[in-house]
Amino acid sequence: MSDFDSLAQIVISGDFGGAKTLTQKMIDNGVDPLEIINQGLMAGMNVVGVRFKAGDMYVPEVMMSARAMSTGIELVKPLIADKDMPSAGKVLIGTVKGDLHDIGKKLVVMMMESAGFEIIDLGVDIDPATFVKGVKEHKPQVIGMSALLTTTMLSMKDTVEALKKEGLRDTVKIIIGGAPITQGFADQIGADGYAPDAATATELCRRLIA
Amino acid sequence: MKKIRSNSIEQATPMLRWVSESQIEEIHLATLEVLERTGVKVDHPEALRLLKDAGCIVNEHRVRIPSWLVEECIRLAPRKIVVANRKGQRVMPLEKNRTYFGTGSDLPFTVDLETGERRRSTKKDVELACRVMDYLPNYDFVMSYAIASDQNALVSDLHQLEAMVSNTIKPMIVTAHDEINMRAQLEMAVLVAGGREELRKNPFLVLYSEPISPLVHTNDGVAKMFACFEYGVPVVYTPGILSGATTPVTKAGTIVLMNAEALAGVVMAQLKQKGAPIIIGGGATPMDMRSTATLYGSPETMMNYAIMTQLSQFYGIPNFTEAGCVNSPVPDAQAGMEAGTGILMAQLMGANLVHDVGYLEGGKTGSLTFLTMCNDFMDAARYMGRGTRIDEETLAVDVIDEVGPGGNYVAHTHTFEHFRSEIWTPKQFNRSFWDTWEEQGSKTVEDKAAELAKEIVATHTSELLDETVRTGMSQIIAETEKQKQ
Repeated sequence: MSDFDSLAQIVISGDFGGAKTLTQKMIDNGVDPLEIINQGLMAGMNVVGVRFKAGDMYVPEVMMSARAMSTGIELVKPLIADKDMPSAGKVLIGTVKGDLHDIGKKLVVMMMESAGFEIIDLGVDIDPATFVKGVKEHKPQVIGMSALLTTTMLSMKDTVEALKKEGLRDTVKIIIGGAPITQGFADQIGADGYAPDAATATELCRRLIA
Repeated sequence: MKKIRSNSIEQATPMLRWVSESQIEEIHLATLEVLERTGVKVDHPEALRLLKDAGCIVNEHRVRIPSWLVEECIRLAPRKIVVANRKGQRVMPLEKNRTYFGTGSDLPFTVDLETGERRRSTKKDVELACRVMDYLPNYDFVMSYAIASDQNALVSDLHQLEAMVSNTIKPMIVTAHDEINMRAQLEMAVLVAGGREELRKNPFLVLYSEPISPLVHTNDGVAKMFACFEYGVPVVYTPGILSGATTPVTKAGTIVLMNAEALAGVVMAQLKQKGAPIIIGGGATPMDMRSTATLYGSPETMMNYAIMTQLSQFYGIPNFTEAGCVNSPVPDAQAGMEAGTGILMAQLMGANLVHDVGYLEGGKTGSLTFLTMCNDFMDAARYMGRGTRIDEETLAVDVIDEVGPGGNYVAHTHTFEHFRSEIWTPKQFNRSFWDTWEEQGSKTVEDKAAELAKEIVATHTSELLDETVRTGMSQIIAETEKQKQ
């Protein structure tokens, strides 16, 4: 087995200690850092994604694989120019104003990060102005909004409107989620997409950015 | 003369103990350690001040609660909380070993009874569910069931309370968006009870408020609770969690964390007001590690509730738990298993307030058909919970002798006298032979439950509220709406 295959295998098994050792060894041997990411770390993570979708891997296993991947990436990152760092895309995310529940959003963040997205997590109780400010500052390709309560989900529409008003609506894709959210509601407020769970949200982002 | 037995123990009901007293104490001590070592986050200014003054170590919002204070507050919390019905009758004493069933609150979706279509819930759904539960004898209390999402969202909780008190006299557990809406609901309750004193004497409503796991006590969550204590209204202060996401994945760790959150609530409650009526417990649901769904009706939840009920009995504080909420999206065989085992376990353990009965899809979808079906499940569980009667009459030695070998018991008066109490009769289950079942339309239990639900909706209405009370409630809703706009 090549070092790339071994590294991919280590990521799949979620062995973050092993990922650190082997990545360092490959760096020391002069392997191209970008190749380490693409052919080793990300290659492993792609398999994890497929297996998770098929129901052969579970969330905590995906989390461990993601941790193994980022352990490796931490080591090679200083060796790669920022502009060359591979990224699936940049996503700005937050739980909407009035809502303090964030386990759903955290799951989405972790799943997206494990799929190679760069995530800016604004946190909970985020009002439309803060989302707008975040878009200006970070220039994400996608905004994700989460709500558990039917009372707070209405604030999602306010954010969409605020982005329109600032002329930013066309610069980003908007996705929403949470227990009371439906595709119908997403259509109604003019969001670009809705996902019922974290894995689907990740796929949705991929599709919207592609 | 009646023959008696001496030096003999009778066991009136089955006794279920999931773990030993020593293990309960072990969980208690672990909980005390969490509160003292890790502490909790409290966002309510008055609660923070009370905790600090009582001897907690407070750093900004982080509060570490010493063990002695927790134990003192457990002693102060009432062992018995009596909840009345709308008419002020004290029908629901929450005390050790008394089990009451009811539905849950705030379902975003409902399967329409007429069309069978799943759609967003409305105020009408709250009204219909309350009428159905007002009629069905095994529902002891109600919650809103559905969200009144066709009403102004700022005051939808007020509309839900209005729909509830207008359609049932049974005790009710309410939810509130925030302190303002809670106070508005309390004023509505004052109108219904006929005065603030009457409400305090015989509260017919209970608030359900939540900490957010792990270990966060929000400003709104605590403020709503404190407002209720001012009116003498009891409060359920319990978390809804996801094992493996917002709590440790282990059952014991889940229970410790939830218990820490509930006991922190007990401490805040008793510091606010000695003897404040607080109810502990919560929804101890694991996360499905494939779909991330919340697993209600799973074996783990029932195992957790068994221990949490023992804990509440150990503390002498009433508890709030959950059963009859299933992950199946339809009322099928899976739903029957999920609901049936949970309801039976809750009954046999003697949990106090058992909510969420009649919920589908992991607490996201309501169905009056399933709500109605669960009445039979609860009936069977209660029948088993009452236990087996052992005495001279039921041992039937005289009857056995009288009938003798080769005879039969069908026409015996002993059978006639006892068959109704000795053999449970369901209202909706199918028990006929195949041919008869076909002749009667090949109906499934779901068909029969839907028929019964439709019949109740068509024919049953609860006692009407006084016109002035109804007008008064509408005014409060209108004023609150104006205040919030």
